[in-house]
Amino acid sequence: MGEMDISSGLRVGPFEVLYPFRTEQSSTRASREGNYPGRLFIVEGIDGSGKSTQLSLLHKWLEAKGYGVVFSEWNSSPLVKDTTKLGKKKKMLTPATFSLIHCTDFADRTEKSILPLLKAGAVVLCDRYVYTAFARDVARGMDRKWVRDLYDFAVKPTVAFYFRVPLETAIGRITAARDCLKYYEAGLDLGLSDDPIESFRIFQGRILEEYEHMIPEFGLTVIDAELSVEAQQAQVRQIVKRQLEGVQELRIRP
Amino acid sequence: MRKTYGKVLPGMKLTDLAGKLIVIEGTDCAGRTTQINLLKPWLEELGHAVLDTGMTRSPLAGEGIRRAKEGNNLGRVTQSLFYATDFIDRLENEIAPALRAGFVVLTDRYIYSLIGRAIVRGVDPVWIRSLYSVALKPDAVFYLRVKLEDLIPRVIFSRGFDYWESGMDLYPAHDMYEGFCNYQRALLGEFDRLSSEFNFETIDASPEPKAVFAALQTRIQAVLNPEKSYLTRKVEETTERLTRSIDARGVFAAASAARDAEPSLQPVARLLNGNGNGHH
Repeated sequence: MGEMDISSGLRVGPFEVLYPFRTEQSSTRASREGNYPGRLFIVEGIDGSGKSTQLSLLHKWLEAKGYGVVFSEWNSSPLVKDTTKLGKKKKMLTPATFSLIHCTDFADRTEKSILPLLKAGAVVLCDRYVYTAFARDVARGMDRKWVRDLYDFAVKPTVAFYFRVPLETAIGRITAARDCLKYYEAGLDLGLSDDPIESFRIFQGRILEEYEHMIPEFGLTVIDAELSVEAQQAQVRQIVKRQLEGVQELRIRP
Repeated sequence: MRKTYGKVLPGMKLTDLAGKLIVIEGTDCAGRTTQINLLKPWLEELGHAVLDTGMTRSPLAGEGIRRAKEGNNLGRVTQSLFYATDFIDRLENEIAPALRAGFVVLTDRYIYSLIGRAIVRGVDPVWIRSLYSVALKPDAVFYLRVKLEDLIPRVIFSRGFDYWESGMDLYPAHDMYEGFCNYQRALLGEFDRLSSEFNFETIDASPEPKAVFAALQTRIQAVLNPEKSYLTRKVEETTERLTRSIDARGVFAAASAARDAEPSLQPVARLLNGNGNGHH
C-alpha cells in the first residue's frame, strides 16, 4: 500500500503548522503556514506497539463513513525507496545518510501527496511521521535541533497519536511475529551489542525515551497500547470524530 | 583543527583532518571539470595524493538522483534533500577519510552550488543553510565566474541546453534558451551573494582554459605552501645571523646579535651572554 490513490472531498478548517515560517518566498513556507481544508491523522510508536493495526481499523471506519481517505506509509516514495533499499541492503547508511534519505522520502510524499491532498480536502492517514525520524535519528546520535530543522517543511498533523507500550511488551510482540530482526531496525549499525535482540532492546529503549520527551514538546495524543485493540480503537475513533464533526462536505458518499 | 559551519556529524573527528580541501565552484559550463582534469595530474606531479569528487557521484544516491531527474517530477524540497544525501555520503565516506590520510581533495562543486540552486528554486535560505551546517569548511573555494553572454556559446557548442540547467522546472519559459538565461542569471546573482558570505576567491573564467589554469595554480600553491608566519621568518633570520656571528667573532657577538632580534628571543640572548661571560 505504498503509493497513494487520490480521492477527495471539501472542507474548510484551520491548519496548524509545525514551526513558524521564516522567510517571504520559500517553498517550505507554503506547507508550514497551511490553512488547508483536509485533515491529517498520523500514528507513532515503536515497532510492536500496534499502531499500524489501529490505523488500518481507522481507515476502514472512515471509508465506511464515506470520507475521502488516503493512506501514506513511512518510507514508500517510489522515487526514493530504491535508494533507501540499496543503502540498507549494502549497509551503506550512516546515522546522517539514514536520516537524510528518510527525509528525502518524506519530502517526496509531502510534495506530491500529503500537501496537495490536504489542499484538496482529503483525510490523510500516515503510518509514522516526522516524530519517527526525530526519535530514531536522535537515538542514532544526530543532533536534536538539526533533525527538527530538517523536517521544517512538514505539515503539522491534526492529531498525532502515540501508541505507548512498555519495551518488553513490544519486544515480545516483535520476536513472536518474526524470525529475525533487520539490521537497521535493531540498531545493529550502532554497535551497541552483537546480539540482535539485545541491540534492539537498547536501541528501542533510546527511541522510547525520545518519544517520551516529544509528548509534551509536540502535544502527542497518548493511547495506552496495552489496552485491548477494541478499546484503543474506540478512543481513536472518538478523537478523530471530534475533528470531523460538522464537516459533512468531506464525505464522498452520503 | 578543521571547522564546520556549525554542527558536527556523529563520528566526525575534526582534529585529524589534516589534508587540504579545495573547492572548485561555478555555474554550468564554467569549465570546472576541465580545470580539475588539469589540476589533478599537476598536483600529483608535485607529489600530492589527490581525490577528486563531485555532485551525484556517491554510490548511495548518485544513481537514484539520475533516475529521479529523468522523470521531471522531482519536487524542490525532495531534490534538495536527495542532493544532500549524495553530498553527505561522499563527505563521510570519501572526503573526510581522504583528508584524514593527508590527501588534497579537489571537489567539483560543494555545498554552495546546492545552496544556490535551492534558493533560486524558492527553498527557504535558512533551512538549506541549517541542513549544510554539518559540512566541513574548505581550505579554499575558487569560484570560476563566467558572464552569461560568455556562457551561452559554451553551452550551445558543448552539449546543448539541459532541462534542469535551464530551470525548466521553474520558469514558464517558451523555450530552453529563455529558460537557460533566466535560470543562469538568477544563479549568478545568488553566487555573487554567496561569494562574500563564504569567502570565495573569484577567478574570471572567461579567458582560455590555460589562463584560468595558471591562475588556479598560483592560488592553489599558496594554499598548499602558505607563506611562513612572521615569527617563523624572524627566528630563521636570527638563527642564520647568530650562526654567522659565531663563526666570525665568537659567542659574545652572537649574543649581541640576538639582543637586537625579536623580543621573543631575549631569553636566548641572555643565555648566550651568560655562556660568553663564563668563557672570559
